[in-house]
Amino acid sequence: MSNATTAVNSSLVTFENVSKTFPNGHRALKNVSLTFAPGEFIAVVGLSGAGKSTLIRCVNRLVMPTEGRILVNGKDITGMGEGELRTVRARIGMIFQNYNLVRRSSVLRNVLAGRLAHLPTWRTLTGMFPAADMELAFRSLERVGIPEKAYQRADTLSGGQQQRVAIARALTQQPHILLADEPVASLDPPTAHQVMRDLKNLSREENLLTLVNLHFIDMAQEYADRVIGLRAGEVVFDGPGAGMTEADFEAIYNRRIRPDDLRGALDIVGESTGEASALAR
Amino acid sequence: MISAYPTPPNDRPVPTPPPKPAASDRIIPVIYVTLTIVALVWSLSGMDISWGRIATRSQQATVYFRQMFLETDWSYLPKTLKGLQESFQIAALGTFLAAILAIPFGALAARNLSRLPVLPAFGKFFLNFIRAFPELILAIAFIKAIGPGAFAGVLAIGLHSIGMMGKLYAERIESVDKNAIEALSAAGASPLEIFRHAILPEVLPDFLSFALFRLDINIRAATVLGIVGAGGVGTLLELQRRGNNWRTIGTIFICIVITVIIVDFISAKLRAKLT
Repeated sequence: MSNATTAVNSSLVTFENVSKTFPNGHRALKNVSLTFAPGEFIAVVGLSGAGKSTLIRCVNRLVMPTEGRILVNGKDITGMGEGELRTVRARIGMIFQNYNLVRRSSVLRNVLAGRLAHLPTWRTLTGMFPAADMELAFRSLERVGIPEKAYQRADTLSGGQQQRVAIARALTQQPHILLADEPVASLDPPTAHQVMRDLKNLSREENLLTLVNLHFIDMAQEYADRVIGLRAGEVVFDGPGAGMTEADFEAIYNRRIRPDDLRGALDIVGESTGEASALAR
Repeated sequence: MISAYPTPPNDRPVPTPPPKPAASDRIIPVIYVTLTIVALVWSLSGMDISWGRIATRSQQATVYFRQMFLETDWSYLPKTLKGLQESFQIAALGTFLAAILAIPFGALAARNLSRLPVLPAFGKFFLNFIRAFPELILAIAFIKAIGPGAFAGVLAIGLHSIGMMGKLYAERIESVDKNAIEALSAAGASPLEIFRHAILPEVLPDFLSFALFRLDINIRAATVLGIVGAGGVGTLLELQRRGNNWRTIGTIFICIVITVIIVDFISAKLRAKLT
């Protein structure tokens, strides 16, 4: 990379020749080297099966790479023991396509789960959280705009609201890295744009390194400071999102752009849902 | 006649049916049916049924039935209710004990919680082993070990129920939502915290439902435990049976049936609320 020297100094996450081969022989990542700086908002794009999810999941070692090293805050996480890994994960928020909430628990309980790794286990097993952590959880819910849902069961909320609970849970971790694995794939276009705007604003306000898997190219263009294109486990594009053309995406996808590669519908946001983005100030 | 479906044109050729299964495959049901009949005949041969004796006995039985249900001795009601109360207490304590203790055993036997496959295999074997002992056998064993009385009944019901509920708990844990576990794991939660905050909230209502159902079954079991000396209304039943007091046996019998029906009803209502 051209700015290698500055990147090393300010790097928060570094992939060094990372490869991942799954037990079934599938090579999801091939010799990937990347550097991510604090506060960067990065979209990872590529066809399904290109290794987007594997790349993101390597950052918190939900997927263990088979080769190479991954440095988070200068520490190699690939050789870490479980305990040490948990302290690293404590500061890495993650958002999923299916929200991954504990459905029968209240919204507040779900948000408090972001504090588990910050508190001693004996303490959290009682289910009674310190007042400071409760306050933090409520503040997170307020930031995503649904404080009134705190005592409702998580599975009674709409998809968009559930994803906000998931964002609040990540926020409550007081993270410096936010991973989002297809966060908008299950949402309708207006809600999807809202969630992307919320993520973008959070990233800015908290100086969060944010990695988002997307397969909608217009969303990547719209929101990402930087786009990483993956094809068959290899990085084939790494550059700013704003200037990207359809030709760039066609090069990443290795095929023509189709209508379903676009999320669209940005112009109807707000009007159709009647609610403005919770984090827009 | 008006049909919602248009008649398909009948000019297409009749499709050729697929080849019939081989004769060796068609013989299999015949073998199963034959084996079932053999088993039935063999079982009946061990019965030594004497129809003449049944006829004379059933005449006597009508006398007993009349005494039980038409000449019921209601003066025995207070004692019966006291016995039933003890049976209920035995069942409640035994079920409570098992409902709690089955959680660690169920967690041990669940295949999705441990990285070593030996642990769930051991847990499953242990639960199967416990379940193999009927309550009455366990009650006889506990009576030998700690003496006759209600507490032996509590332990017998409790132990047998751990085997039953542990298996149900384990199966419920195995079908738990993996997504929530993944999320908490990604947030740095320890395995114990994941069990407490992702798994328990999801499975607890179902565990409670299993326990209520088990209480229902255990109350039935606790009414007969007294026959071997493990307390409850069964003690009275055995006493009166020895004395051939069919009028008081009737009282006990009617009370047991009514209690079981009521408990059944309440338990079903409560369980319906849990889902």
